[in-house]
Amino acid sequence: MGIPNYPVHLEDPLFQGFYDGLDAGELRVTVDAETGEFQWYPPEVVPGRPDARLEWRAVSPLGHAYTFTTVVRSLLPGDHNDEVPYTVILFEPDDAPGVRIAGVLVDDDGVAPACGMRLKFRPVEVGDHKIAGFAPA
Amino acid sequence: MMKPGKIAITGVGETPFLRKGEEHVMQMMTRASLAAIADAGLKPTDIDGYIINKYAGHPSEEIAHAIGAGQKRFSAVADSAGGTATTGDALRLAQLAIEAGLCKHVLVPYAIRSTKPGGVYAFHAREPQKAGLEMPAGFFGQPTYFASMANRYAHEYGMTEEEQAALPMTYRAWAAITPSAQRRDPMDLAAYRASPMISTPLRVADCCLTTDGGGAYVVSSVDYARHLPHPVVAVQGLGLGYNNYPHGVLFSQKPCTFEFPVRESAAMAYAMAGISPADLDLAQVYDGFTISALVQTEMLGLCDVGEAPRFYAAGHAMPGGKMPINTSGGHMSGGYVPGINLLIEAVRQLRGGEGARQVPDARLCAIAGLGGNNHSTTILARM
Repeated sequence: MGIPNYPVHLEDPLFQGFYDGLDAGELRVTVDAETGEFQWYPPEVVPGRPDARLEWRAVSPLGHAYTFTTVVRSLLPGDHNDEVPYTVILFEPDDAPGVRIAGVLVDDDGVAPACGMRLKFRPVEVGDHKIAGFAPA
Repeated sequence: MMKPGKIAITGVGETPFLRKGEEHVMQMMTRASLAAIADAGLKPTDIDGYIINKYAGHPSEEIAHAIGAGQKRFSAVADSAGGTATTGDALRLAQLAIEAGLCKHVLVPYAIRSTKPGGVYAFHAREPQKAGLEMPAGFFGQPTYFASMANRYAHEYGMTEEEQAALPMTYRAWAAITPSAQRRDPMDLAAYRASPMISTPLRVADCCLTTDGGGAYVVSSVDYARHLPHPVVAVQGLGLGYNNYPHGVLFSQKPCTFEFPVRESAAMAYAMAGISPADLDLAQVYDGFTISALVQTEMLGLCDVGEAPRFYAAGHAMPGGKMPINTSGGHMSGGYVPGINLLIEAVRQLRGGEGARQVPDARLCAIAGLGGNNHSTTILARM
């Protein structure tokens, strides 16, 4: 299996906390600082609360795959077809139901990906950046 | 709710659908528009209203100038995407304008150049949330998004490879008897399996075509349509549904990623038309991908929820089946001019006279138009 190596474009600081979390070995998502409710992906405006402030919170490294797909032909801008195949997971942490984090399946030892499969977060270094990896738990 | 039977589609026209064409969008829109106006038995100077598609990128004055139209009395922009814009939103705006007496003949043009630099995915690459959080993880591009939906759907309802293949094979069977279809070569299960995988479980054969082409139609009052050359094909039902999820979160964060607001649009359309799904003679379903067409087939009420793979595998949507669907090959085999070629085919079927692919005595046709976070259901009736 390959792994996608697409540079992280962070012209908007809205997403920096996610990558700070990966560097610290954590999965971090945004919550409304006042209500504590998950607001993921970080929105420019929290619905109905334009003054709301977001803060980053670490979530459980354990969870399951909401869904997945194995990318055989890369559609990323540029030529990334030497990085396929890889399996993308939409991961739901155990303590944040409905929050989905995109990452790749790693250390699968030939286990077929499946919706609902138990997974554990593991950051993966790709080139000069990290992405979220998920290994069978 | 709008009233049924007030407006009619009086003219339809299109360009050839090509894998790679030479003409730009404006040329194709003009060519399709002139064909539609002529088909209606009208002159360009009769056109006094326009519904423009924001993704086509050309304002109404450019269209009016290009076709040699008369005085413009009304124009509006369809504020939705994909098939919702071309087969639902545009018709609703046209009915409002015609019933208000603002204009008499509304032109709805559209063209797409899928082979332009950047391709059809460039739009998504500009979404900050996708660029910031999804693309580095390799989650990018429509086939990848819809493949992840297909796996979730299969997890919840079950879908074998043979059942999945039945939908593109059905649409190809219709394309094979449609002279203007872009892909007419036969597709059996072996040919389906030979189609390259893009993102599991979606193969090239599960995706809409890459098309350079255009389509257009003319909307007039039903009263006026009675004096024009073709049988009257009226808008009998029209509903739109919205889920308000921005595009940045649409494919990953919705509670159920493969749910589209079809139930809402279909309920409105059936109520306006005063019919049920069982009354339909045929349907045209926006088939960007196998999974999205399966889900819309269910939500339109053409089969039970979770049963669309079996419905197609049983041959019910094939030529001669009990509910013919995408009778010119749809977007997966006929051509991908989002929504508009489905509507054109619906009109032609209801007029009768489509030769080998004509659905006998077709009088009621539903058109399902998907536009990401919005959806339209339109019911056309031969009066």
